[in-house]
Amino acid sequence: MTSSAVDPAALELELVRRRVFLALFIALAVALHTFEVLLPNPLPWFRIGLANILALTALFLYGQRALWIVSLTRILVGSLLLGNLFSPAFLLSLSGGLSATLLMSVAYRFCRPRIGPVGVSVLGALGHAGGQLLIAWLLIVRHPSIWMMLPFFLLFSLISGMVNGLAADYLLDALFKHPAFARLRSMGEKEAI
Amino acid sequence: MRRGGWLQRLTPFDCKLVVVLAVIVLLSFLLLLRRGVGTRVLVTSGDRTLFVADLSVDRRVELNGPLGTTVLQIADGGVRILSSPCSRKICIGMGEARHPGDLLACVPNRLVVRIEGADAVARERGYDFLSR
Amino acid sequence: MFARPQWLILLLVLIAGLVWWRVPADTQQLSRTALIMGTLVEIRAFGDDQQQLNQAISDAFAEMTRLEDLLSSHRPDSDVARLSSAEKTVKVSAETAKLLQLGQQVALRSGGAFDMTLGAVKQLWAIETDHPQIPTAEQLQTALHGIGPRALQIDGTQVTKSVPALQVDLGGIAKGYAVDRALAVLRRAGIRSAAVNAGGDIGLLGDRQGQPWRIGIQHPRNKGQLLTTLRLADRAVVTSGDYERFFERDGVRYHHIFDPHSGQPARRSQSVTVVAADAASADALATAAFVLGPRAGLKLLEDWPAVEGLLVAADGTVYQTSGLQRSD
Repeated sequence: MTSSAVDPAALELELVRRRVFLALFIALAVALHTFEVLLPNPLPWFRIGLANILALTALFLYGQRALWIVSLTRILVGSLLLGNLFSPAFLLSLSGGLSATLLMSVAYRFCRPRIGPVGVSVLGALGHAGGQLLIAWLLIVRHPSIWMMLPFFLLFSLISGMVNGLAADYLLDALFKHPAFARLRSMGEKEAI
Repeated sequence: MRRGGWLQRLTPFDCKLVVVLAVIVLLSFLLLLRRGVGTRVLVTSGDRTLFVADLSVDRRVELNGPLGTTVLQIADGGVRILSSPCSRKICIGMGEARHPGDLLACVPNRLVVRIEGADAVARERGYDFLSR
Repeated sequence: MFARPQWLILLLVLIAGLVWWRVPADTQQLSRTALIMGTLVEIRAFGDDQQQLNQAISDAFAEMTRLEDLLSSHRPDSDVARLSSAEKTVKVSAETAKLLQLGQQVALRSGGAFDMTLGAVKQLWAIETDHPQIPTAEQLQTALHGIGPRALQIDGTQVTKSVPALQVDLGGIAKGYAVDRALAVLRRAGIRSAAVNAGGDIGLLGDRQGQPWRIGIQHPRNKGQLLTTLRLADRAVVTSGDYERFFERDGVRYHHIFDPHSGQPARRSQSVTVVAADAASADALATAAFVLGPRAGLKLLEDWPAVEGLLVAADGTVYQTSGLQRSD
């Protein structure tokens, strides 16, 4: 679909490879999503969002569509595994995930060559916190005091966003060195869907 | 590929973005944390909880105790007893409760009005219980 | 990384550890209030199971209500009311007899400063009612007739009064005893960390999640100000003060702690705080030391084993026993 110099067999191989890697990313993201529940967290709603590392990696490897696929599938499958599908916790997770993904893909779309994984990740983390709190306020605790938590949420997600962004950046570096992504590198990230 | 310190992994745009967002977070701290908020009002009689409500929603509540009806008013983030069938009206004289841990009690009518969140207050004021 | 089995094993061990660490439920806290013995009683307990806490606190409240029925002078069929209305000898429950014995011990050791037979004097002043009044000297003389540490002869569960008109009032010890019993109920329910606060008479079971409980001591004159903060575990704290229940007439404050020698409100102290192993003793000793005043009161507390105290004299000077650990 990009340059005519690419022969069909190689393109087919690349597409299969992409699907396999996306599936791997989703699997890893789900694992991290579940794993995170086990981690000690100071306050019940604070999450580092480790799964977002994989979403970011998918975004920078394969573009916005991959980001949406990884994020949404991760939330659905992760909640299914944790047994809280369609519970309030799931709604929080979904609303946070949707607003984070939306912010990340918009940032990626419009600020692309200048913005790096860290920038996208931080935006996503803040969007996650904001979206989650908004839904919590609308559906669960209709009380203004919930907004008292917003600053703490934002501060925490700023830090976790940077950590995740850096992790994604390291992962991207490592992946680009791997032969399986050599073609992608030669094609250039921009050409991905 | 890029090597070295983690700061170098941020593009210049990332750096600016993080700084701007950090400022926004700081501003949100300043804006939102200036006012404290009481939480929920809890009315109990004996062992039972009669009534739970949000302090931020203004309303008037009539509660029945053994002597009759005690009228409670929640307004402007505080709660006070408006009228009570008891003889000495001490509960009305107790004025307003608005901070977590504050208590109003009408002993004759066996009503206890309490604002929740005493734990945070205990941390702040430095003791768990007051001996008096 | 996953090519090497030791990493995989390490990761699995980590996950197993985290699962094990997360699965036990977090320690729950439950706090409930009830009106018992004419005062606000708060019980706070820590435990693993909210339901168990709730049940234990309900049982503790029930126990305190039972004691109110047994020891209140306002209940016509309570031990205390039967004792007051009796001509001479009454058989009381073993529990009441034991409490009377403890009270008598404090009464004797304090030279009569603590007295359980002041019922008639309290009725005269009527401070806890709507219409308090200042009794005349003759009225007081009559009300004080026959009182004293030896006014009640306790023989097993048989209690004999010195004079038929003697009115028993356990106001200075019953609340403390009820706190002790509530704690015993909580302890029996397997709770290891709890506090019972009956209008400022505080009993502590264990510590507060590894930290001592912090008990603020009310300043007797400045409401909202603390005299000090005590850090305690497994102790009882009771404060008696002239600011709790009083009325004022012609600029004079008439409060609810009476000197058995005069029948008048005791004037030597503003407040006394006693820390003891049980709240009943602390309650009685606080009243006794309040009546005795700084010198004799402090000596009483020093001499009583395993008891510490803090006394604010009438002039506002703060005295304390030598072993009291303050943290301010």
